[in-house]
Amino acid sequence: MKTLRHRLAWVLGILLALGTVLAGTAHAWLTNPVTPVAHEVRELFWLAFGVTMFFFVLAEMILLIAIIKFRARPGVAPATFHDNVKLEIVWTAIPTLAMVFLSGPSFQTLQYLETVPKSDLTVEIIGHQWFWEYRYPGHGVVFANEPLVIPSGKIVAADLTSIDVVHSWFVPEFGVKMDANPGRVNHTWFEVERPGTYGGQCAELCGVLHGDMLITVNVVSPEEFERWLAEKKKGA
Amino acid sequence: MEAGTLTRPGAPTPAHAPAAAKPKSVLLDWLLTTDHKKIGVMYVWMSFFFFALGGIFALLMRTQLAAPGLHVLRPDVYNQIMSLHGTFMIFFWTIPVLAGLGNYVVPLQIGARDMAFPRVNAFSFWLLLPAGFLMLAGMWMQGGAAAGGWTSYPPLSDRQYSPGPGMDLWILGLHLAGMSSILGAINFVVTVHNLRAPGMSFLKMPLFTWNVVITQYIILFGTPVLAGALTMLLTDRMFGTAFFHPAAGGDPVLWQHLFWFYSHPAVYIMVLPAMGVISQVLPPFASKRPFGYKGMVLATLGIGVIGFLVWGHHMFASGIDPTLRRFFSFMSMVIAVPTGIKIWSWLATVWGGSIRFRTPMLYGLGFISLFTIGGITGVWLALVPFDVQVHDTYFVVAHLHYVLFGGSLMGIFAGVYYWFPKMSGRMYHEVWGKVHFWLTFIGMNLTFMPMHLVGMRGMPRRIYTYQAQYTLENQIATVGAFVLGVGMLIFMINMLASLRWGKKASDDPWDHAEFNKTLEWTVSSPPPNENFHKIPVIR
Repeated sequence: MKTLRHRLAWVLGILLALGTVLAGTAHAWLTNPVTPVAHEVRELFWLAFGVTMFFFVLAEMILLIAIIKFRARPGVAPATFHDNVKLEIVWTAIPTLAMVFLSGPSFQTLQYLETVPKSDLTVEIIGHQWFWEYRYPGHGVVFANEPLVIPSGKIVAADLTSIDVVHSWFVPEFGVKMDANPGRVNHTWFEVERPGTYGGQCAELCGVLHGDMLITVNVVSPEEFERWLAEKKKGA
Repeated sequence: MEAGTLTRPGAPTPAHAPAAAKPKSVLLDWLLTTDHKKIGVMYVWMSFFFFALGGIFALLMRTQLAAPGLHVLRPDVYNQIMSLHGTFMIFFWTIPVLAGLGNYVVPLQIGARDMAFPRVNAFSFWLLLPAGFLMLAGMWMQGGAAAGGWTSYPPLSDRQYSPGPGMDLWILGLHLAGMSSILGAINFVVTVHNLRAPGMSFLKMPLFTWNVVITQYIILFGTPVLAGALTMLLTDRMFGTAFFHPAAGGDPVLWQHLFWFYSHPAVYIMVLPAMGVISQVLPPFASKRPFGYKGMVLATLGIGVIGFLVWGHHMFASGIDPTLRRFFSFMSMVIAVPTGIKIWSWLATVWGGSIRFRTPMLYGLGFISLFTIGGITGVWLALVPFDVQVHDTYFVVAHLHYVLFGGSLMGIFAGVYYWFPKMSGRMYHEVWGKVHFWLTFIGMNLTFMPMHLVGMRGMPRRIYTYQAQYTLENQIATVGAFVLGVGMLIFMINMLASLRWGKKASDDPWDHAEFNKTLEWTVSSPPPNENFHKIPVIR
């Protein structure tokens, strides 16, 4: 009965793993994307997920079938093949083609997210141990340790740098992550579709309180944003 | 010279201590040994010590992360433990334990009496041991151990932000480990090129030896770059140079390039020998020849070469040049192809066989199933837009643990169980071996599968506490980690007990078929001094 136990345990284990992967990814991506870039990234992800899942399921199925079907039995001799050039060419060519196929949409999306379009507003984001400083150049507004406020439906360009160590500005729902390096300026952009409060945090190890370096972004309507900016200027 | 003592005319004979200088005691015998088998065993013991330490660190981290807002570890201590966990597991467990298995097995598999430079071999080992303790010593220094992660990006690792001596000890420890690595690599390369038995052509070498040799070439090309980068960091810290210091014209991103130029190939240093073990373990337990031998060798070579062209995929979010992003992205996708070839070839090896489910085989099959998951997530990560989304999140932690835990560690344990009878002359307890496998397999999936999910939802790595929305997955991961811990305890007890009370092992406890019988199974367990009474001739 030993073999039956093996079979059941293996099938159970692999199915469990598979189920977790599938259910989990679907669940994980319910995080609501709120910028065009984030939408694009999720579409690309599902494409890649589909292509790679084919190979994954194929490999795990072959493994499972082999485990169940080819366990040692008295009187059954093992096969003797150990070479098959055609087969080897096939399993080299098909994955290569799959990778070439995937790289197309991937590079398109990349082009889209790394080209900063003509923006309606520029913010400067400066990392400090362990808080964020935001500047609105041209408006003379500078503050730190408060939520970033931006208008919805407008293209916001962000220039990132750091005052001390490497930080990384990361808001998952925007599909945006960009390192803030000292001595360099990096650029990214986002256009948030709807007002709301979005969270994120520093994504590059930056010292003791790295885990506390949270990010809050308040996205408000353009009118409200103008009011807020005027308020801030008065206070400055 | 008697017949049979020379590998071939003109080949160097290993320099052994003359028989007259017999050490006085067992202890001295081990301390002064230049025998590759003893050195290999010492490597394994040492690595397992650091594996236990790294494992304890991991459990401490998982305890701290069992719920949001806990105070099991202070934030600064958490960062130190996290950094040491990474460094120990990579440089003092995975790499040396595979070096140890390689040291033990490679000379046997090619029909040599010893390594080409036995004393250099001993020196490699004795460099590594103090290196680990040097790093650990940081724990008791002012300011604690290094806390920059295993990657130690400057400026965080600069004097200004890591003022204590812990970081210097980390650098020096890594320097020593790197030297040990390089010396070992020279040794392996020369051994395999010069000391093969008559008739042992390159294309007759077992796949494990092939994988080890290619790995040593990677070490030879990569490690000096790490040594250079570490030296630059050290002079930045100690003598006020400014390689990585932006205010004085340096660039922190330079470190990332130099570091990853070694540390991405390091991933292949960690996984190729483990793949070699799998190629060695699957055929005998499936009673078939390894499928596609030449394809396997070529795939390994391909991984070795392309492995040097993908380092930029660790830096997609650092603002590197768009052209570089595309190049590294494409190369990272391409490297999935030779890796895939290996997976398919293993599946074809198992297909149609008659499989005996002994512990090494379970680990071999576990390797295939789990490493595939790591490979798939690797392809996703090669896509820059997706990588930007999940870079430096727990998704990456999950991916790397599927590759290194589901891959390297499974391979290592397959090898440890497979060669344990050969090394010790005794059998381990099969049932407890299987219990260990199942606990590892289930615990591993419990621990790391949920990490994909929190990572995709935006939980960064290397944080000492997290926001409430990530609680459930982290709790599952913590439970899984303790399941793994229990499994490893069972493993330790099983092995220690078997060393003392295990059944005596025969020369070939696995009953290899003639066509699968590599040379180490033709000699006694453990092999005699100098390995072979008469150097075998391969036809």
